[in-house]
Amino acid sequence: MGAYIVRRLLWTVVLLLVISAVTFFIFYVLPTADPAALRAGRDPSQDLIEQIRQQLGLDDPWYVQFKDYISNLVFHFDFGNSFVNNAPVKELIFDRLPNTMFLVFGAAIIWFVVGVGIGIVSAVARGSIWDRLLMGGALVAISAPVYWLGLVSLYLFSDDIGQFKIFKGAGAYQNASGFLEKCWAMFLPWCVLATAFAAIYARLLRSNLLETLSEDYIRTARAKGLSERRVIFRHGVRSAITPVITVLGLDIGILMGGAILTETVFSIDGVGRLAYDAIQRNDLSTVQGTTLFLALAVALMSLLVDIVYAFLDPRVRY
Amino acid sequence: MTRSPLRFLLLSMLAVLALVFAACGDDDSGGSSSSSDSSKSSEKQSAAEQQGKKGGKLTQLGASDVDYLDPGHSYYTAGFQVIYATNRTLYSFKPEDGTNPVPDLAEADPEISSDKKSVTVKIRKGVKFGPPVNREVTSKDVKYAVERFFSINVGGQYPGYFQPIVGAPTKATKGVKPISGIETPDDQTIVFKLKDPVGVSFAAALVMPITAPVPEEYAKEFDAKNPSTYNTHVVSSGPYMVANDSSGKTTGYKPGKSISLVRNPNWDGKATGDYRPAYLDEIFLRTNATDANVAGRQVLDGQNLVLDTNPPANILRDVITKIKDQYVSVPSGGYRYFPLNTTVKPFDDINIRKAVLAGFDRDAARKARGGKYVGDLATHFLPPEFPGFEQAGGFDGFGVDYLSKANEKGDPEVAAKYFKAAGMKSGKYEGNEEILVVGANADPGKAQAEVAKNQLEKLGFKVRLRIVPQDAVYTEWCQVPAKNVGMCGGAGWFKDFADPQSMLEPVFKGSLITETGNINYSELKDPKVDEAMNKAALLEGEERLQAWADIDKMIVEDAAAVPFIWDKTTLIRSKNVNGVAASYYTAWDLNFTSIK
Repeated sequence: MGAYIVRRLLWTVVLLLVISAVTFFIFYVLPTADPAALRAGRDPSQDLIEQIRQQLGLDDPWYVQFKDYISNLVFHFDFGNSFVNNAPVKELIFDRLPNTMFLVFGAAIIWFVVGVGIGIVSAVARGSIWDRLLMGGALVAISAPVYWLGLVSLYLFSDDIGQFKIFKGAGAYQNASGFLEKCWAMFLPWCVLATAFAAIYARLLRSNLLETLSEDYIRTARAKGLSERRVIFRHGVRSAITPVITVLGLDIGILMGGAILTETVFSIDGVGRLAYDAIQRNDLSTVQGTTLFLALAVALMSLLVDIVYAFLDPRVRY
Repeated sequence: MTRSPLRFLLLSMLAVLALVFAACGDDDSGGSSSSSDSSKSSEKQSAAEQQGKKGGKLTQLGASDVDYLDPGHSYYTAGFQVIYATNRTLYSFKPEDGTNPVPDLAEADPEISSDKKSVTVKIRKGVKFGPPVNREVTSKDVKYAVERFFSINVGGQYPGYFQPIVGAPTKATKGVKPISGIETPDDQTIVFKLKDPVGVSFAAALVMPITAPVPEEYAKEFDAKNPSTYNTHVVSSGPYMVANDSSGKTTGYKPGKSISLVRNPNWDGKATGDYRPAYLDEIFLRTNATDANVAGRQVLDGQNLVLDTNPPANILRDVITKIKDQYVSVPSGGYRYFPLNTTVKPFDDINIRKAVLAGFDRDAARKARGGKYVGDLATHFLPPEFPGFEQAGGFDGFGVDYLSKANEKGDPEVAAKYFKAAGMKSGKYEGNEEILVVGANADPGKAQAEVAKNQLEKLGFKVRLRIVPQDAVYTEWCQVPAKNVGMCGGAGWFKDFADPQSMLEPVFKGSLITETGNINYSELKDPKVDEAMNKAALLEGEERLQAWADIDKMIVEDAAAVPFIWDKTTLIRSKNVNGVAASYYTAWDLNFTSIK
């Protein structure tokens, strides 16, 4: 197991270097706007643009820029400074990381618990009115765009602009203090982000569980006189949930930098929003920093999922 | 390619008009003849100022951050809003009058020598820097502020206004270098020696943020870095300060998230002649309210809230037609237009350009930005309530048939007349050239560019619409003549000063065209226009206004662009907020706004 983890981590480093190079070349070869001109203001002189280009190191050959970037990254864990406001990119990311983690992990708990619960009920009560209602609801939830759902939930339930002033609204999380208050302020964003994922997980688990419950070993378990609860949870769900765990790991990794719409609607300062703004402003160093961070998150979550497999599935050994 | 020093000199002169107007007592320059909402809002503002109540906390919701907090670097509205609340520039504007500056850190109007080559300003006694500097402001602090502006580390963005000073660098310096033409004979006096007799125009530039004092002994450590880190260590001289720690680090500034302003404990408005009441105890600027619809609703339904800029179109309509008492509308002091590239076929033919202006539905373009509530339809370039507007025909314009109030939705018959004059017998465009139109990838810029495409196609042109990120529209396309953009899918130009030269010269002067960073998107090279601009730059008073109005007419006659809107900024507030808008930088004036 130890050797496996070390090997995977080394591959992760290689992956990050490749991603860093790809991101760099996309922005170097196909720039959407000149960062020096953007920084020079609305009526810049040619001299000023050139001087800013020198200041930012943009006049160096691409390989010098790339070498500087990588050496700073590897030896100093320095992502460089934002072209827009000079702030260190590392600070920008780590400043926003707790917010994104709080959003994503909270939502993940909700969608996992709700999705798995609905999947089990639907599979066990296959063909019943409950099954149809839950799967119909899941279809609606998958179809609802997050942005729309977020706005509707705010207009209906937020305590400032909602018709039924129940939950905290947009921006409340920034002002909340203490764990419970933060949880309460994040409740609507959690629900909105979790809705579509819960529906997908429910459908995925239902399908897997139905297949598993028709396996011979399940029939054997029943024939041995085990209780139905034990058959379903100990033998059925444990096997059917493995693919769900894989997806969960990847989804969490992706959302660490990709919950942009939820962060936008609810005014949460997250990594996804930071990446989006950086792309809009052609802030290369921030784009590279957030891209690398997202890749790292996905790689680490993928590794974590593989490790968890060993505990869930006795057949898996490294 | 470098800018000519003359250009900067001329720009500065324009700016000076504000003072000239003050001296002439030209009350009309404020545009009181206009029947637009803005004049009403000014009256409301005056009443609001008197009713201000001390105390309370105001929160402003917005989706965008300041460009910089450093007064030597900032050049955009969001930055100005904070800078004019946290600093005392030599001169500044009262909220209801963005045309006539009043002494701020300065004790009185500037003394301009008879040869107009020297400007002397006396500074008030007793004005103190906020923590951690805590000492009295002297003239040397203003000198250092101007000197550091030219350093590449600081990156001042409008050097042309201050290059008339003797010894001022012609290009950015490495580190902060002394300027021989700025003298400080005593702690209360600063003298600017000028290369040319442009004292009147130079004095008008003393309203800009770079005249806010900066303490050298404190800031030089930050200014030595490249880029300067003074932006996160700014020191206050105004009523408010960005919350900071004992070292001066601005802990209240969280880039992309929020800015927390608190009272500057060393500010004493009454004792130091500050005209600003500074009612609020605390101001919190949220710069991460990323969904404008949600933020707008929160402001209207909530308490102690204001929105930083125009709300989305649907909210704007509701606010003006239904809610009515929760907004202020102020002219933005600028125009939006579609430049026609006069060097690209077929727009190199003036009759084709006139045909485009005649047939273009300008109202459709305005609707793309939110409809009639976002501004008046333009019939020329100098905007309402701006010096020279009335001389340029006011809202009616110059009465040419291809650009008038009568054809705001486009007139196919007039367009046909000019197409025929260009040899197109069908009355529509008959050529095969493909016109490149470049527009932004986000609304309203995107919708606006699509309108431009549709309007051109309606007139018979073949159009290739290229949608790119907002910033790239300018830096990569419209500002680069080599890209041969036929029509920039939407551009805008807004004032630095209340002076018509700064409104027309950078945008339409042929001699200012550059290979990159070119602002003359139309690439208009009309020697008559350039010559008229050179002459008008040296004039003063009514003569000057008339000269620039005439230049406005010449540009319309050149049909160099389709002006379609004179912007207004509509600011919304919660019911319990006494909102006062600053007409100079068209945002809430944090020094005058209060809680009811």
